[in-house]
Amino acid sequence: MRRALLFGRRTSRPPRRLGADGTSALILLLLAFPLGAQERLASDFEIAQMEQQLLRAKGFSAQVSARLNLGDLRATRNEQSLARAEYLNASGLAEAERLDARRESAMSRYANATSYAALAQAKLGRKARAFELLEEAARYASDDAENWNLYASAMRILGHPRKAAAAARNAVALAKEPLDVAIYQHALATALIESGEVDEAERLLVTVTESLRSSKFASLQRDVARGEAFEVYSTARGDVAAYVSLLNRAQLRLAALYEQRGQTSKARTQYERVLAARSDDVTALTALGRWAEAFEANPFSPALVATYRRVIPSISEGPPAGNTTGAQMRRALIQLARGEHRAARTTLDGLLEKFPANETLRTLRRETERKAAPTLPGATPTAEELRALIETFEQLTPEQRVTLDRTTFTSDVVFTSAQVANGQTTFESGTIGGVPFRFSEPTVFNGVFDVRARLTYRILGRTADVSSASSGRAGRPPSFDRDALLLDPAGVQ
Amino acid sequence: MKRALVLLLFATTPAFAQVVASTPRGVVVAKPGHEVQTPTAIVVGRDRIAVLDALNNEAAIIEQPSGRTTRVQTAETPIAGAFVGRDLYVLARDARVVQRIGGARIAVAADPAFLRESNGTLYVYSRATGTIEEIANDRVTRRVTVAPFASDFEIDGRVAYLLYPRDARIRTIDLRAMKTTGVVSVGAVPVDMAFAGGGTAITARILAVADPSAKRVWLTEGTQSTVQAVARGFLRGFLGLGLFGSRASQFPTGVDRVVIRGKQWIAYDSSSGTLYRFTKSKSSVIAKGIAPKGFAVTADGVVYWKDGKLVAPKNAQ
Repeated sequence: MRRALLFGRRTSRPPRRLGADGTSALILLLLAFPLGAQERLASDFEIAQMEQQLLRAKGFSAQVSARLNLGDLRATRNEQSLARAEYLNASGLAEAERLDARRESAMSRYANATSYAALAQAKLGRKARAFELLEEAARYASDDAENWNLYASAMRILGHPRKAAAAARNAVALAKEPLDVAIYQHALATALIESGEVDEAERLLVTVTESLRSSKFASLQRDVARGEAFEVYSTARGDVAAYVSLLNRAQLRLAALYEQRGQTSKARTQYERVLAARSDDVTALTALGRWAEAFEANPFSPALVATYRRVIPSISEGPPAGNTTGAQMRRALIQLARGEHRAARTTLDGLLEKFPANETLRTLRRETERKAAPTLPGATPTAEELRALIETFEQLTPEQRVTLDRTTFTSDVVFTSAQVANGQTTFESGTIGGVPFRFSEPTVFNGVFDVRARLTYRILGRTADVSSASSGRAGRPPSFDRDALLLDPAGVQ
Repeated sequence: MKRALVLLLFATTPAFAQVVASTPRGVVVAKPGHEVQTPTAIVVGRDRIAVLDALNNEAAIIEQPSGRTTRVQTAETPIAGAFVGRDLYVLARDARVVQRIGGARIAVAADPAFLRESNGTLYVYSRATGTIEEIANDRVTRRVTVAPFASDFEIDGRVAYLLYPRDARIRTIDLRAMKTTGVVSVGAVPVDMAFAGGGTAITARILAVADPSAKRVWLTEGTQSTVQAVARGFLRGFLGLGLFGSRASQFPTGVDRVVIRGKQWIAYDSSSGTLYRFTKSKSSVIAKGIAPKGFAVTADGVVYWKDGKLVAPKNAQ
């Protein structure tokens, strides 16, 4: 799975005229990074910090980038329904901005908002609409590097790295400021890696990292040192944050590339450079085998947990002592690997008392109770089958997930409500034999239907049951008490 | 007469997915997951059409009226196409080629955005370099560099028109000489244009230019060559007249697409998905919530895809 992270920066570039614009000097630039070895899991602290930024955010650019960023942070924690909610919010903001810009004849704003609307749609997986919006933005702003970078990011999210590379080349060709050039070169390198063109990607990444560490960026380097800036954002704002994030990502990516090519010494150098700037970078710590520090830095990272579990068989020492969160996490994982489920439960229950809403802990806790391998429900599943699927969803094999994606199910359902208008009925959520489900968004069906109906659907995954949500304060997401199935409706009778 | 290529299978249909086109044999609708996974454009020929999927690099060529379909892979990102006789040429933007299906791949300049056909000759405009390339017999025969970043490229006989939103200009190119012949200001942010008549022995071509910033469609008299002008005994440039002639906005949020076919003058606002009919004196809303490629203009009127069906409203004129 791949995703794009964003970061933006303030620029001194003067706004260009495209209609009666009043274009903001705030230009957001996008970067794309792959999920996986290089992913940093968002900690609760980072989520809270971004939520605070969102509350303070004024203006479209700040708000939409904060929403997209929060969605990305949620996605790294496998909180897909919350991530989706943020992307929907971003999409709504962008669409409103598009209309507003057009009313005010502000065409640069319109093109920019259209690009962000496309990005949000891409993150929501709506390919056709995302492409349509990207092409629309290109009509107005084919001379704008930022728009091409947004285009590249959206294409990467949608799994089209060659298209992303083409768009990124346009962005690189149009960029003028050194930091812009570096950002877009990094985006191009990312797309090239995903396209299998690693030689050019490596050359670009070497160029980017050497450029960022050179005297060309002395002023920014001084600002970084003076401000003790080290945070790496998926959506950074301001040159300093952009510089820090770009250097971190470029070095990590270059290191990963070296690792893939067996150039471990070069890779190690890059990882050590990353840690010199940020000593708790999970990816670098993991790559260098510094597990204790990595778990203290980010104990609940799914990527870290997954990597650690792979290497547990090669670790000779016993479970770590100590009561830090990181030590307890490692202890639980080793206990799980050894089949010591009761001990693992005890360790995890202790952590869950401190972090009751943590998805990683909850997933691991469920694993300790697993008695049988997960199985897929039948074509007309029982409530028990669906409950079992919710419980074991994370343990499905890749093959089972493929089969699940391709299977259509039919059940008698009770929808939460039915909104009828113009001969059409809108449904959003309901239950199947008491098992909660919902759609990714309210869905309109042709015809008038009762809340009791027969639904044909595909199962997309597990999500939060919105009916169990406790209300959140303004700007804060609600919390959810139980899980539900996320369904893709195919038809209703 | 209308002909739907595919049928809806499910009750739910994304609003932005269908592509509608007018063909000599009626209206066609391409829907997702049928001829191609994600239809993004329809190319119309005399007795064949092609549905392009720019996302998945596919094209489906459909014979009319038999409906026999041939699916082919294309180079990266087929955004446009044209038939020359029975040959389908596809502009694959991200591969930077014009591809004859089943034949040659012709390299073109960076960010090729428009493909036009005139008398069997193809012309490609590439935005990044501002180059127009002429393609005949599967090779680039001539090229001219005009100016980059045009938002529309149209050809009328031997004259090409390029429209520039940033500097609000139309540039005209004499395709016989492959030389720029004129640069004229038009509107505030012109984005799209269509031919609106004229072009006779005594009149210059009239262009309708959609300007969403001014919320108007400008009616502009096209350029003519010096030879033509002298033959007529006078020289005329672009007039740049906004329709209606008043300061009032012609369209509430502005329009950025204009399509003209005979007496059918249709404008479209991409931001709100609003489709308008307009004349020199008034405009009226035909429908809202229409996808940018979800409508087509026929000789009889406009047709559009809305709420899961093809709609052909009674011609208001």
